[in-house]
Amino acid sequence: MNREQIYAWIVGVLHETFEIDPADVKPESNLYTDLDIDSIDAVDLMLRAKELTGKRMQPDVFKTVRTVQDVVEALYGVMAEAA
Amino acid sequence: MSSPLNRAWRIFATGFCFTSFGLGGLLLGLVIFPLIRLTVREPAARRRISRNVIRLAFQLFVEQMRVMGIYTYELRNIERLKRDGLLIVANHPTLIDVVFLMSLVRNADCVVKAALWRNPFTRGPVQAADYVSNGSGPEVVDACIASVRKGSNLIIFPEGTRTVPGCPLSFQRGAGNLAVRGALALTPVYIECSPIMLTKGGKWYRVPLRPPHFVFTVGEDIPVAPYLRSDLPLALAARHLTQDLERHFAQELLRHG
Repeated sequence: MNREQIYAWIVGVLHETFEIDPADVKPESNLYTDLDIDSIDAVDLMLRAKELTGKRMQPDVFKTVRTVQDVVEALYGVMAEAA
Repeated sequence: MSSPLNRAWRIFATGFCFTSFGLGGLLLGLVIFPLIRLTVREPAARRRISRNVIRLAFQLFVEQMRVMGIYTYELRNIERLKRDGLLIVANHPTLIDVVFLMSLVRNADCVVKAALWRNPFTRGPVQAADYVSNGSGPEVVDACIASVRKGSNLIIFPEGTRTVPGCPLSFQRGAGNLAVRGALALTPVYIECSPIMLTKGGKWYRVPLRPPHFVFTVGEDIPVAPYLRSDLPLALAARHLTQDLERHFAQELLRHG
């Protein structure tokens, strides 16, 4: 998957899991302040990410991400590593 | 009741009560809880005794404040709290809501700041009473659900902090998540304080013109089943429940007030 595909996947997940309007999501959107994701949501998001990548995400990875683009980069990194 | 003398008295009394709260805390932390730790080995018994001691201490504090004329209070439908394994949710107008609730609820549990486990004065009591620590991140949810299943009555303030006077209620989703993920009904407690005192950002010595009256109303349980549908992800169920809960509290508080 390239970065655009991962981004599209995230927008889809945010919509179906948290009812976040895709129109509100931008690469620079802050998950916690702009999109109202809380720490429990972040765990759900990690589980979905695991389904996508097939790898367990290290909790630290999600502690450092702030924006949607950060998530894209983190997932891209994990998948590139696995490939 | 609103004479300058009465206000001066209530300022003194409030300061006196807070000082005695601090001293009482020291006594518990330095004498009573070390004794409990030494003499009661079995964790379940230690938890039960510790929670009873804390409840008694909070009852004394609540009555001390009332007897000294700082406030009056009334309890409505309080028998609904005399059960086990409740997930109790309340709004949070004042500094002393948690003291009131923990004085009313048997076998009460609550989520306590991780910092209080490191503080030498509070570590003993919070450890012995086996409260849930907020330090363990996402595991807090599992710890809370396990606590309620064991029969503790868990108290949560969904606002997360005290209400900002004049602003609409705003609930975080922790309690909603506990309810949907643990399939637990919610027991609402509506807290009113008029005129308001001990608000967030308010100074304790700015006492209101007349002594406040607190009303604690325990509502009927809010069932969680309508939110547990196979087509609804839990994160969404928690969102819907939280929105409904917020609206419900706003309506009830408006109705009572």
